[in-house]
Amino acid sequence: MKTTTQHIVTAILLMLPMMLFAETGYELAKAMEDKTAPSDMKSNMTMTLTNKQGKTRESTIRSITADDNRKQIIWFLAPADDKGVAFLKIEHEQKDDEMRLWLPAFKKVRRISSKKKADSFMGSDLSYEDMTSRELEEYTYEILGEKVVDGIDCHILESTPKAGVTRTYKRFVTYVSKADLVSILDEAYDTRDKLLKRRVMKYRKDKGYDLPTEIFVENVQKGSNTRLVFSSQEVDTGVKEDLFQEKNLKRMPK
Amino acid sequence: MKQWFISQSVDHPKRSILVTIIITLLMGSGLMHFVVEDDFLKMLPQDIESMVALNELKDEFGSTDLMFLGFGKSGVDVLNTENLAMLWDLSHALEDVDQVDEVMCISTSDKMESIDGFLEVSALQEYRDLDEEEIATLRSYLADNSKIRTRNLGENGDYFNVIIRPIVGVKGDVLVSDMEKVVAKHLTDYDVHWGGQAYLTGTLPVLIRNDVVGLMRIGLIGMLLILLFSLRNVPAVGSILATIILSMAFMMGFNGWMIYLTKSDKFMFGVLNTSMPIILLTIANSYGVHVITKFFRKMRTNKDPRAAVEASLNSLVLPIFLTALTTVAAFLCMVFAPLEPLIGYGFSISAGILWAWILSTVFLPSILVLKKWNPDSAAVSHPSHFERFVIAFGEQVIKRPKTVLIGGAVVVIIGIAGFLKLNIEVNMKAFFKPGNPIRESLEFMDNEMTGTMDLQLLINADLRSPEVLNQMTRIQDFMEEYEAVTLSISIADVIKQMHRMVNDDDPAFETIPDTREKVNNLFTMYSMSGDPDNFSSLVDYDYEKGLATSMMRSISTSEIVVLVEEIEAFLQQDDYKDLNITITGLLIVFRDLVALIIRSSFISIFASIIIIALIAAYFFKHWLWGVLAVVPLSSAVILNFGLMGIFGVDLNHVTALLSAIIIGVGVDFAIHYISQFRNHLHTHGLDGKLSRETMRDVGFPVILDAASNMAFGALLFSMFIPMIHMGGLMVFAMVSTSTATLTLLAILLEMNKKRLARIEGIAVPE
Repeated sequence: MKTTTQHIVTAILLMLPMMLFAETGYELAKAMEDKTAPSDMKSNMTMTLTNKQGKTRESTIRSITADDNRKQIIWFLAPADDKGVAFLKIEHEQKDDEMRLWLPAFKKVRRISSKKKADSFMGSDLSYEDMTSRELEEYTYEILGEKVVDGIDCHILESTPKAGVTRTYKRFVTYVSKADLVSILDEAYDTRDKLLKRRVMKYRKDKGYDLPTEIFVENVQKGSNTRLVFSSQEVDTGVKEDLFQEKNLKRMPK
Repeated sequence: MKQWFISQSVDHPKRSILVTIIITLLMGSGLMHFVVEDDFLKMLPQDIESMVALNELKDEFGSTDLMFLGFGKSGVDVLNTENLAMLWDLSHALEDVDQVDEVMCISTSDKMESIDGFLEVSALQEYRDLDEEEIATLRSYLADNSKIRTRNLGENGDYFNVIIRPIVGVKGDVLVSDMEKVVAKHLTDYDVHWGGQAYLTGTLPVLIRNDVVGLMRIGLIGMLLILLFSLRNVPAVGSILATIILSMAFMMGFNGWMIYLTKSDKFMFGVLNTSMPIILLTIANSYGVHVITKFFRKMRTNKDPRAAVEASLNSLVLPIFLTALTTVAAFLCMVFAPLEPLIGYGFSISAGILWAWILSTVFLPSILVLKKWNPDSAAVSHPSHFERFVIAFGEQVIKRPKTVLIGGAVVVIIGIAGFLKLNIEVNMKAFFKPGNPIRESLEFMDNEMTGTMDLQLLINADLRSPEVLNQMTRIQDFMEEYEAVTLSISIADVIKQMHRMVNDDDPAFETIPDTREKVNNLFTMYSMSGDPDNFSSLVDYDYEKGLATSMMRSISTSEIVVLVEEIEAFLQQDDYKDLNITITGLLIVFRDLVALIIRSSFISIFASIIIIALIAAYFFKHWLWGVLAVVPLSSAVILNFGLMGIFGVDLNHVTALLSAIIIGVGVDFAIHYISQFRNHLHTHGLDGKLSRETMRDVGFPVILDAASNMAFGALLFSMFIPMIHMGGLMVFAMVSTSTATLTLLAILLEMNKKRLARIEGIAVPE
């Protein structure tokens, strides 16, 4: 009898860390979600696309975002061929996202719609799905372990979409800075569970926020990559709601 | 040297057998490294201009060797819920295959629409299971966009067209095999048709090899039966078979060792090597037949196997060595062939031939020495009916020198006349017999779908320029005027469609925009909504290179030549001179390749004839012997191509190549005849029996050799026209070279015997 009790206690003790990790995985994700984010952000971005042959394309854009990136307006500053093109995106919870594009050569605003979240954002290796934050309750989480990435001590967090949630990816493995609770490295696996994209992020501190300074996304399967470098960042500038309107696409920011 | 060979068999037969078997086993162990290579594209020369251009194109745009799959049910509208669900499942399963880069069909394509002011790029088939209303919308979209419909549906709307783009560099046979597995799993209740260069190049090598292996077995059995009928002795036939098997093991092992030692693709065993075992088999058989028949002839007088073997080898060591040497010389001419595998072919078969020579002059005689022969048996004691017939035939030939000469001259004149009519033509579809499932499939794809071939125009120009895009459109219009071209696709088509969509789907705007800025705006707009990879097969990253792909029905190489000339003439006009356009694609590579192989085959044939003449002249010590040695072969070659011209058999790379290869087999008879003629000349001088005795000595083995090798006429029953040609050529080469030897050469020697005797230093009575 004593032996049986000892076995049960031993089994519980062995399972305890797993039970704790399951709890911690969700908590870690929640803690990341709960981090305070700026109400709005203005920045210039230089986006460098490199295809598998090593050829590059570079664009410079002015971006203003609000409402945790749910609203975004961008203006192309360079190259000369794209100068003047502007893009407005407003994400909706219950209906398709709204996207409008100003085509200066046609002098027309066209509303564009993409129902496919996996579609590329501006021809880059980032998809619209990559650009939006993951809904906390749509995933299950597990901490797989710990690792030091680029000198930063990280948790390894696995996020898997819950049954019934349709996503482009089968799972994500995220290396989360223990100190700042931000993603340092994020690996996305396709539906066949093969590594598809690897995203590396760098940050700087400003007004208590962790602001991205550089995002490097590599499509492992295609061999292409995209580097986004942020500059002239301003946060909590009090961007007004009415900025995110079609009429503002035609005006280049000063 | 001759005495050494004789001594090995007569004095040390057991040791000789053991040593030859051990050496064969050692060399044969190279089979461990033997590699079968069924990737046809790997065999193509990488340095010819059209191949270099094609490889550059693939680097930039991915593979252009497309595979087409059509499925549906004849006469039944394919657009329904069940079929679209099947297309959805199939296309996604095909996309999951490792060798596949892209699957293009209704389920994987995007559509661009202008709906209520929205420009929407979305999936042409958004879900697996579409309802009636969604199918009606799809149908309407396809009706409004004829190019998209043509690309995705059969002409009558009863078949889906699925285009598969493989990853560059994948093995064609593996790709086809994996594709067929997926299709077999999904499409159980549909008519399925395949097409495209990728399909053909991936399918043919395996099918041909399997077909040839089956027919080769039949040929081998036929050969053994002919030998058994003629020689009437099982051990004799068995010893020839042993010689053949050991030669084959040696050659295949040599091939394996060469792969291991050189790490070269040249020695990989591919479709071009298919004829290699058959050719070596006939050569080893030939050597064996000469030794055995001579042995039986000698046994009739000597009754002692050792003495009979010694006498046989005395007169056969030199001719068999010379036939081996000349055949090896002919095959080594393949070292200059444009296709790398043919270089390996030349070396490997040469090794096999040299070993067959050693076996037939050491191993085979040793068996004959060890075997206890019954001198009174039918096989040994008297000639067979077949042998007597050949002797009688020889007697008749020698009695009618003028008839034979006139006949020979007529044959050569006919040959030359036919040669001038020879037509060079290659149509991949015509490689299959009418009624063959692959041919029927290709014909279906040609008649009902977008065809099975494609041609690319690579345009180097600023593809954001409206002027360039308009020029591209005009070039595509020109291409589509050809009956064989079913569809032409380029980035200009996408620009026109986007232009229409941005202008509220107004068909009037399905044109190239008038300014560069507008073109730029359209590209940017697409990048915001569609997958930029959709353009990757149409335009390069910098918009400086564009590809106009024309889908085509099967055409022959001569039609390709005309088509390319006309396209080039069109592009020479002032409007297009600045575009720097390259016409490319696998079709162009085949066009160049066929010409290259035919040219090199002819060079190889002539080089072989000259080298054989020089070798014969050197060993028989006078140029006249050299000239005479190639008379039967040359007349057979002229007749071969002449008859092809007369009977309308097109000269293609396969027939040209096989002609060059079969020369190696056909040269032996003349060497044997001349060698025995000289022997008799030295032994008996110019008595009246010179030619008669030579004919008695050589006639039967030559005819038996030819007849037994003709069993490989079994290839005439192949499902592949080139293999039928090979069977036909084998039969023809055997008949023509043996007949020319026993008629034309025999008569020429008889008529010139006094002169030849003087050359040999034999006294000639005045």
